[in-house]
Amino acid sequence: MNKSIRRLIAPALACLLLNGAAGISASAEPYEVYNYDRWGDAVPSQAGYIPERSVSGSDLGTTAFSEPADIFLAPDGLFYIADSGNNRIVVCDKDLTETVHIIDTLTMPDGTGTSLSSPQGVFVTEDSIYIADSENSRVLVCGMDGSVILELTKPETAAYDQNKTFMPKRVIADKAGNVYVVLGNITTGAAMFAPDGSFTGFYGANRVQPTAEIISDHFSGLFISDEKRARRTRNIPSGITSFDIDGDFIFTCSSSSTQTTDTVKKLNAAGKNIIADKEVTFGDYTPIYDSTQNRILSSAIIDIDIAEDGCINCLDQTSGRIFQYDEECGLLFIMGGIAKQLGGFTQPAAIESYGEELFVLDRTKNTVTVFRETEFGRTVHKASSLHNAGLYEEALVPWNEVLRLDGNYCAAYVGVASALLRQEDYRGAMKYAKKADAGRIYNKAFEGWRRQWLRENGGKLILGITALVAAAVFAARLIRKRRRKGESTDDGPQTG
Amino acid sequence: MMDLRPAEWVRHAVLHPAEGFEDMRWKKAGSLKIAFFIVFMLFFGQIADDKLYGTQFFIPYDRVFNIVPYIVMSFVVFAAWVTGNWAVCTLLDGEGTMRNICIYSAYALIPYTVQLLLNALLSHFLIRDEAVFIEVIRIVGIGWTAILLFSAVKAVHQYTFAKTVLAVLLTIGAMLIMLFLLVLFMSLMQQVFGFLFTIWTEISYRIRV
Repeated sequence: MNKSIRRLIAPALACLLLNGAAGISASAEPYEVYNYDRWGDAVPSQAGYIPERSVSGSDLGTTAFSEPADIFLAPDGLFYIADSGNNRIVVCDKDLTETVHIIDTLTMPDGTGTSLSSPQGVFVTEDSIYIADSENSRVLVCGMDGSVILELTKPETAAYDQNKTFMPKRVIADKAGNVYVVLGNITTGAAMFAPDGSFTGFYGANRVQPTAEIISDHFSGLFISDEKRARRTRNIPSGITSFDIDGDFIFTCSSSSTQTTDTVKKLNAAGKNIIADKEVTFGDYTPIYDSTQNRILSSAIIDIDIAEDGCINCLDQTSGRIFQYDEECGLLFIMGGIAKQLGGFTQPAAIESYGEELFVLDRTKNTVTVFRETEFGRTVHKASSLHNAGLYEEALVPWNEVLRLDGNYCAAYVGVASALLRQEDYRGAMKYAKKADAGRIYNKAFEGWRRQWLRENGGKLILGITALVAAAVFAARLIRKRRRKGESTDDGPQTG
Repeated sequence: MMDLRPAEWVRHAVLHPAEGFEDMRWKKAGSLKIAFFIVFMLFFGQIADDKLYGTQFFIPYDRVFNIVPYIVMSFVVFAAWVTGNWAVCTLLDGEGTMRNICIYSAYALIPYTVQLLLNALLSHFLIRDEAVFIEVIRIVGIGWTAILLFSAVKAVHQYTFAKTVLAVLLTIGAMLIMLFLLVLFMSLMQQVFGFLFTIWTEISYRIRV
């Protein structure tokens, strides 16, 4: 009796489960989740994040946003949204449910009030708020109460081209209180101000992409006169579009869709890009042709965010995708897209992260989209942070779990291979390293396996070789003897 | 004196770069069958060099396998060399027949072919730190083949040293011209095919309507 009931119920349950699964996958994100395999081809993948909800201005209990430009999560746990179309900064709580207060007028040091005009960037430390007040050509540093401490305007020095306006787009400050400002019309790097407000120079300029034209210009430049050289068109690198600070390092991104040099940089205090030698392609590997828009989408990283765990989140404006990298610049997840539905963007502007959530601000949808980490995403993050810390063996269990969920996930094979190599399971390491195209790990594993094999079978190998050589020598001698005999019978009559 | 079987002639020619081919010519030795076998092995050698290396050295993109480049790198290049050399040296008072040029050149390719196959095999036993062995074998193989090829041209046409250099350079030029014409011809054929296909499409639409 019991058995027959089970027999009846089982298929019904299975049907329900399958339906449920299909329903989830159909109603989820409006884009295809993919990742890159070991050859750099795009393959379907599991989602590391799924869009959870989108928050508009009215959801926060205030008027709708208008062309919001920047979102920042302050150390005190409040979100600061630069609502540039409405000339205000909206401060809301961590769960994005209600507005705490709105910054639109500030008190200058002399007691007069001043209002913002199209603020494009906001940055908050423990005790001060930094606002890139773009249309007013100034950067304001103010206390938490809204009183301006410092006003940074166009530097009146020779180092700054006086023909250029001062157009701050993004602002950050380091621990020492130095202020870095991204300017919309300057390609020589971010303007750097000392804590007292004096201009100290530019920081972290991008390099010029070495195209064939520029190389040939360089060589022809060796032979032309100084006057002619001065009148030539100059080769200008793309400027910095946005940046984020993580401890002692500043990460910059550049949204040029024609250049591939220095799209994402990790700068140390001296302004040197320390990930330049990794040669990572940020964004999509190859430009993708979109037939619905009839244009080629090459990545333009418009904003960058460093999570607490060191993950690098890059926001691509052209494709509306978020590319998440681990601290070693290994690609983890790709999500987002150009779409009207939840999870898609029309004109993404800024990205911020907190814990297992990502927040993406859309300039024309006027919303903040919240992405939440999935079970798969959590496992990958756990595994990759253990792996990057050098704890390969501890990472083995989560990596195996990742492979169980997504057999296409290339980094997991590298992780498992590294762990097995450390455990001296050379055969296993070779197997996984081959699947991940990790030649260096395979090489080490093979070296270990060869050493092991020689230790066990070295005697037999030498014995075998000796036997083979002996047999060859004997055979050669036999053949020679036989041939000589043949020759002597053949040649016999002739010589005789 | 020098009554060798075909296989022994191969060994003699390869191991005596200076006078091996002269001896072959004197004795009218050399087998076309062996020559073709060598070119065939060259074809496999090229594939092995590109696809069968040990994983510790190189993992090829094996999602697609296109055989045409390997055919070009072995059969087509060899055929172009033989034809080019024959065409050039006929004009330069060379004494070699097409058959002899083919045989001698193929024999000269042995060190190169052996190097390709041997390295593909060795790469499964060595690690990256020992890649210098593979490199040495490759250099020796290529150098040896170059010397043999030079010696083969010199012997087959009975040239002096200087004239051989000239002949080799002209042959390479002839090969380039031939390959250029081949590409031109192929692109022409493609366009002719495209034209005919368009006509066929038009006609088939008219017929249907």
